[in-house]
Amino acid sequence: MIIARAVTVLLEDRLITFTRAVGLLRRRNLPVRSLAVGPTVTPGVSRLTIMIQSDEATAERAVQQLQKLVGVRAAAAFPARDGVTRELALVKVRAGGERYGELLDVVQLYHASVVDDSPEAIIVELTGSEAFVLSCIRALERFEVLEVARSGAVALELGLTDAGAAVPANI
Amino acid sequence: MAEQLTGSQVLCRALLEEGVDVLFGYPGGAIMPFYHALPEYPGLRHVLVRHEQAAAHAADGYARASGRPGVCVATSGPGATNLVTGIATAHMDNTPLVAITGQVPRAMIGRDAFQETDIIGITQPITKHSRLVEDVEELAEAVHEVFAVAREGRPGPVLLDVPKDVQNQKTEWNGGTVERGNDQRSHLPSFNRFALAEAARLISRAERPLIMAGHGVILSDAYAELRELAERTGTPVITTLLGISAFPESHPLHLGMPGMHGEVHVNRAIQQADLIVGVGLRFDDRVTGNLAAFARGAKVIHIELDASEIGKNVPVAVGLVGDARAILRELLEALAPRHCDGWRAEIESFVRPRVESFKGGLAPEGILGAIEDASRGRCTVVSDVGQHQMWVAKLFRYQRPNTHITSGGLGTMGFAVPAAMGVVMARPGEPVWAISGDGGFQMNMQEIATMVQERIPVKMAIFNNGYLGMVRQWQQFFHGRRYSATPIWSPDYVALAQAYGIPGWRVEHGAQVDDALRGALDHDGPALIEFLIEQEANVFPMIPPGASLSEPIESEAVTA
Repeated sequence: MIIARAVTVLLEDRLITFTRAVGLLRRRNLPVRSLAVGPTVTPGVSRLTIMIQSDEATAERAVQQLQKLVGVRAAAAFPARDGVTRELALVKVRAGGERYGELLDVVQLYHASVVDDSPEAIIVELTGSEAFVLSCIRALERFEVLEVARSGAVALELGLTDAGAAVPANI
Repeated sequence: MAEQLTGSQVLCRALLEEGVDVLFGYPGGAIMPFYHALPEYPGLRHVLVRHEQAAAHAADGYARASGRPGVCVATSGPGATNLVTGIATAHMDNTPLVAITGQVPRAMIGRDAFQETDIIGITQPITKHSRLVEDVEELAEAVHEVFAVAREGRPGPVLLDVPKDVQNQKTEWNGGTVERGNDQRSHLPSFNRFALAEAARLISRAERPLIMAGHGVILSDAYAELRELAERTGTPVITTLLGISAFPESHPLHLGMPGMHGEVHVNRAIQQADLIVGVGLRFDDRVTGNLAAFARGAKVIHIELDASEIGKNVPVAVGLVGDARAILRELLEALAPRHCDGWRAEIESFVRPRVESFKGGLAPEGILGAIEDASRGRCTVVSDVGQHQMWVAKLFRYQRPNTHITSGGLGTMGFAVPAAMGVVMARPGEPVWAISGDGGFQMNMQEIATMVQERIPVKMAIFNNGYLGMVRQWQQFFHGRRYSATPIWSPDYVALAQAYGIPGWRVEHGAQVDDALRGALDHDGPALIEFLIEQEANVFPMIPPGASLSEPIESEAVTA
């Protein structure tokens, strides 16, 4: 069944390892929707989250191929609906003085927040699932959206699973 | 106080610790410190090639023939990029190749320095692992790491990029450290008892079983186990292009090669089978033809070291991940003797008389038979790519394990001549034939000079038909006989041999074959024979690309 799936990878936080992992996604022609990478609590180890739209076999094969890379400590895949996925977006919006109040209403409706309020434009920060973020951006498009920065999704599987379970405690 | 060494000396010592005895390489600016140190280590024999591509193929040939990593060395920039085709060849066929390249000094990296190239970036998709050495302190460990990665699990090529100033850097030698870092990935077999029992059950109950043996059987030295599996269960054995010589061809259970140029009865057996036991192969498209129509009636048991191969191309009933020999041994424990005589008789009835595709003159079949006789079967055959490759695969009767070496996955023309040099280095004293077409031979024939200078007695056979034959065959079958850019002129090969100071023969008639072969084999050094074969001979049968194994072109008549 082709659905949104998260592939999470724990890897050495070196550019060469990251390039290898991302190069593999391209080489194996994986249907990638978003990528996010950031540090973990373990020094020297990063977490790469890849959202793909695929069947289970494709996701599992991606996991096995990623696990073969030198520098990859662990990899796992799960359907997005079996986990929590979150994305952060910063949206720079311009709203004329007369529509400022209306803009704040939209921000409040989406539990977003204004993180910069310059005279020319404001920056809205919002967090949620991919669909939620898209919906909010669409709502903001009623005003003049100048720039959007999205982080790509990060995801954790529900329950006791742990993509890093295979990683010894000493790394 | 510990001994002070340069990075280059550390590199040499680490190579010796890894058991390296021969390097194929070519010096240049960024690798000069290494070449400066090399004469201090007579245990490392250096073979100076004429082109770095040949160094990579020779190291690949050495690795395939010896089972140990083959090492090639080049300088930065063009030296390194010339290795690329050889590295890709080793990558597709899973051979343990270690490429060592010089790099510009660290302070120059990223500044487009003279002869700088990002060889790590270039080779990333075609190496199992690559590493830029950033300090001499990590050099020995880096050497041991790349060798370990090249060797372990499913083998493959690795690249070590060593900046020139690191080669000159001084350090204390503390002896070899074979630390594997903290990489915890497991390479242990992960098949489970239930899967094994299920595989045994399927094999015991199958009525029309087949074994398909690939390169993995050779890589894991599982010849005896494969033979035992076949004999105990009476199951016929198919060998893929890279699996050839994994099973003796004189054996009554040997069927032949499958796929695009497989014999009709082999492909028909696949299409009628109810069980396929795949051992160490990846169900490549040249083997399966149209996947949707491949072995529709068969359940597949896939025994394979690389978990990501299982189910990649063909859906499997049981996947057993691990070393072929270990798994076959476990499987044999669970199998009682049985036979499949009815099925074997049925396959026998599929056998068609060989359509004589050679109309006259010198037939490749006769030449290959004569090579086999003249070498008394005690030779290794290294083929190039194209029509002759298929003839060498199908018409030679391989009896001994790992005596057929070819570029299967990448299909690299120009492979045979340099790879054969590596095979000779790995198997001194054994006749090694490099069999090429006139196209592939001309891609790396400069290596005759290497053979002469380094005294490497490769016996070269050129199947000269004046065409890039396989492409011409496709043009004949699928492009309305428009022979675009396939007629190819050759030099006078006998004169060429003479120019290099080696004996050469031109064979135009069957009567000349034996004398030439005897002369080449008796000569203590490299020798060359040109066989003028029929110009438009074709390889039959042929499954058109994208067609199913049930749709072979069997003869000229069908192609008009």
